[in-house]
Amino acid sequence: MTGLTLVVGELHDGALSDATPEAVGVAQSLSGKEEVIGFLAGSSSRALAAGFGRYGVGRVVIVDDPRLDSAVAAVTAQLVAQAADSVGAELVVVGGTTFGRNLVARLGVRWNAAVATGVTALSRNGPSLEVRRPVFGGRATETRQLEGTHAAVAIRPHAFAAPVESAVSVTLTPIPADGIPPTFWAPKRLSVEAAPRGAGPTLTDASIVVSGGRGVRAAENFHLVEELATSLGAAVGASRAVTDAGWRPAGYQVGQTGKAVSPQLYIAVGISGAIQHLVGMVSSRVIVAINSDSSAPIFKVADYGIVGDLFQVVPALTAEIRRTRGQ
Amino acid sequence: MEIVVCVKPVPDAETRLRTSADGTSLDIEAVKFVLAGYDESAVEQALLLKEANPGSKVHVVSAGPAPRTEEVLRASLALGCDQATWVEIAPGVAPDPLTAARALARAVSSAPHDLVLCGKQAGDDEAGVVGAALAESLGLPDFSAVLDLRWDPGSSRLRFQRATESGVEKWEAPLPCVVSLQQAWNDPRTAKLPAILKSRKLPIAKVPLEPLASSAGTTRPTKFELPPPRTGAKMIEFKTPEEAAQKLVRILKEEAKVFP
Repeated sequence: MTGLTLVVGELHDGALSDATPEAVGVAQSLSGKEEVIGFLAGSSSRALAAGFGRYGVGRVVIVDDPRLDSAVAAVTAQLVAQAADSVGAELVVVGGTTFGRNLVARLGVRWNAAVATGVTALSRNGPSLEVRRPVFGGRATETRQLEGTHAAVAIRPHAFAAPVESAVSVTLTPIPADGIPPTFWAPKRLSVEAAPRGAGPTLTDASIVVSGGRGVRAAENFHLVEELATSLGAAVGASRAVTDAGWRPAGYQVGQTGKAVSPQLYIAVGISGAIQHLVGMVSSRVIVAINSDSSAPIFKVADYGIVGDLFQVVPALTAEIRRTRGQ
Repeated sequence: MEIVVCVKPVPDAETRLRTSADGTSLDIEAVKFVLAGYDESAVEQALLLKEANPGSKVHVVSAGPAPRTEEVLRASLALGCDQATWVEIAPGVAPDPLTAARALARAVSSAPHDLVLCGKQAGDDEAGVVGAALAESLGLPDFSAVLDLRWDPGSSRLRFQRATESGVEKWEAPLPCVVSLQQAWNDPRTAKLPAILKSRKLPIAKVPLEPLASSAGTTRPTKFELPPPRTGAKMIEFKTPEEAAQKLVRILKEEAKVFP
């Protein structure tokens, strides 16, 4: 597979999402800078296309149509396939968000692409592409060969660095949102309740996660975990024991039936380390466990352990971090 | 409402992972397969919708090899699904998720389907693409990361929330469509013994796998790697909590280099 790559940009809070430059970086490392074309859809696509230019992408296909602001992935997939064909792209790269996964799945059928999601490495192997991706909650890694003439790849958030900025001017290629079946316009997005601002990074995006478990003992003690997280600029997670007990909502749960996270640093506070929890965090780069029971299974997967009373250790740790950061 | 729920057998979460002899995939010798966790929630959601909307039926569909695929279909029947279809795929290399989605689409398209429910992703390959690929094959809209799903007969609309990166979105959509559920927010029921016994004798319709069109892209696993076993935590020795905190911060900065 040679030729051009289309990078599908995603908007977040009125700007290009973090995942977009990461996708540009992967695409540029695979082919030349000139061979990467951007794609943006929605009412702000014209204004935000310059965001691609910052990273050296000089051509962006846009669908400047307000209906795309709240369209289902089925619509975007159809337009991306059209755009990819019209520019002669053979590879589509997108950030591995909910939207990105949906998009590549649909391109697999509509555009006959070989599809991979959650990709942490992408390279050429002879005529085909090769991807590496974590499986089994990060307990293993698989390598796959993408076979066929087209491929669509969703990359794992934070797995790739954004390219160094080297601004170029951007040529826009507008395409219309035509030929979409009426059934794809029928669903209606009624409202979006944005994740509260200042609430810190989301669990799956964060580079540091601090999670609390049963050892925290009660909902009213969970602030200890949250204060530690705040001092680190980290997201807050919880074990199933915590969400089952209602100390924190289900959205906090890290584990097999919750979210899978793979931050640079994971701090487990008062979590014993049931397999249910481990599968959701074991692929974190560095794991720290704080637990009063030295035989807790969490210490088997942790890199660093503190056997001690979390009610003493955690406040001390928060204070130490605040001190070193001059907070 | 004709509800279709798609399920997949996956290795039990406590499986000790080992690499197959040829190094390309998981060694499934002696692995216990179970209904995928998210799919269990999808079955539960299908049954809840059926109970709330009299006259509804739940049709469970799976694509995969014997015997595990038949087992999860029977488990779903024991939970209360009305009908089961199995797209049999030869044992050996696990099907590429897109291949599985196309196989499911073939089974679903030939049966009545108002609402197709899937889990968010399977705990083994974690591709998370089957719902959307199935929808594309069927020419239907799909919604992923869905929470809190309700059918409103008055307006003939499905009402639900989606938990995406931008926050919680509220949606309404007419049928037919495909819905992939975000996570286990319901508490899936367990099957009762008489239902399990009865499910062993219930019929399962079989659909053969169609060969892939030569133009369709696909993926092939070439390597399956396990990380070097973690050797256990380096324990931090301390006399006071303050000392523990100082030592840990120093290690995270200087040794692990994760602390800015």
